[in-house]
Amino acid sequence: MINFEEELKRFKPIPDVSQAEEAIYSNDLKDISDIVMQMTSDLRNAEMSSINRIQSRVRR
Amino acid sequence: MAVTRPVLCPICGERVLKTGYCSGCSMNIDVARKAHNTSNYHYNIGYDKAVARDLSGAIESLKLSLRYNKKNVMTRNLLGLIYYEMGEAVEAISHFVMSVNYEPSNNLASRYLKELKKDPSRLDFVDQMTKKYNIALGYAESGDYDLAIIQLKNVLGENPHFVKGYLLLALIYIHSENYEKAGTTLRRVLKIDKANPQAIRYLREMGHTDENIMLMSKESIEDDGLLDDVYMEELTITAGGGLENEENDKSNIFKEFKKNKLDSTVKLGEYGEVSLARYSGAYVLLGLVIGILLLFFVIVPAQKKKIRSDNEELLKSYSEELATKNTTIAELNEQIAALNIKVEELEDKATMRNNSAPDYSNVKTGMSEDDIRDMIGNE
Repeated sequence: MINFEEELKRFKPIPDVSQAEEAIYSNDLKDISDIVMQMTSDLRNAEMSSINRIQSRVRR
Repeated sequence: MAVTRPVLCPICGERVLKTGYCSGCSMNIDVARKAHNTSNYHYNIGYDKAVARDLSGAIESLKLSLRYNKKNVMTRNLLGLIYYEMGEAVEAISHFVMSVNYEPSNNLASRYLKELKKDPSRLDFVDQMTKKYNIALGYAESGDYDLAIIQLKNVLGENPHFVKGYLLLALIYIHSENYEKAGTTLRRVLKIDKANPQAIRYLREMGHTDENIMLMSKESIEDDGLLDDVYMEELTITAGGGLENEENDKSNIFKEFKKNKLDSTVKLGEYGEVSLARYSGAYVLLGLVIGILLLFFVIVPAQKKKIRSDNEELLKSYSEELATKNTTIAELNEQIAALNIKVEELEDKATMRNNSAPDYSNVKTGMSEDDIRDMIGNE
């Protein structure tokens, strides 16, 4: 049976023209290349930090 | 020697190194290509669904396509078109803007945006529709179902492709146990979006079988009367949001509205029937006048213009012919003069030859006059 209250919660207000800019920014999602690039840069940063750590230990 | 063109990254456009990684974004080229191909694959599925009018399915596929390549302009444009078809103009505009942002030149979205910009009243209309829908949603959430129905019918009357509006209206009808109206409303949804999952779920909950649902989407919606009686049927619903609380007559704002509406209705019978036959002569005269005016102001000037242009063409052709013939005559005259000169020269030559030639008058016989006389004497 349909639960009216629950169903009604699924209906969200539609952004009007004044909120179009917000809608555009919210539509700028991450695609797979963004995720891969993010992962690559994270790995690089991790690598760099580990190298720095090793170098500092060597200096000591 | 063959020139090898550098391989460019499909994501950032920089050169791809020999290692297979982009020099700009460090992306593996194989991964990037695979992502783009998958994006195009889902775009094709979305396109097929859109052609088959499964708009919800198409939206799902196109969103998946954007997950693989957010810069897929074709996907953005189709998604925008589908949202526009479903009455969600702001969502459509946002996709068109993003599409133009990713590919400013040779992009269909820029044409769509230009057309929208050309007609500011259209944008204003869309804005009003959106606001009305949001107000209706607010009414529904606060329990004012009757006001919500009126507002939604108003919205749907002006924007008959607004799927979300129909779905909300159907939900309110289901809640008020007006299953017939709910079914009609959901049938309209299925006309626009053949496989709308929400509409199908509501219909199943209402006891419709899958076969029924399939048949419903094929039925005509022309005369279902859903939006005809915008206000009248709500008059049995009270302003307090109660569905059938007709006892509260005094507080029912719709009763008053109905009364006012009936009072302001002009009844034809009260003023007698209007006979159109009485004015038939006037109509004929008016028609004649319009015809004559049309003849003088439209047909005659057009004919005059045509004749003038024909004459100009003729004059032009004659002038050309005349010029050609004049040239020919001049050439012939020159030839005649040259020939005359030649004839004179030849005549002069002939005269000179006649004067210098010896007298051959007596050559015929080869005898002198004395010989001839002697011969005659002998005989």
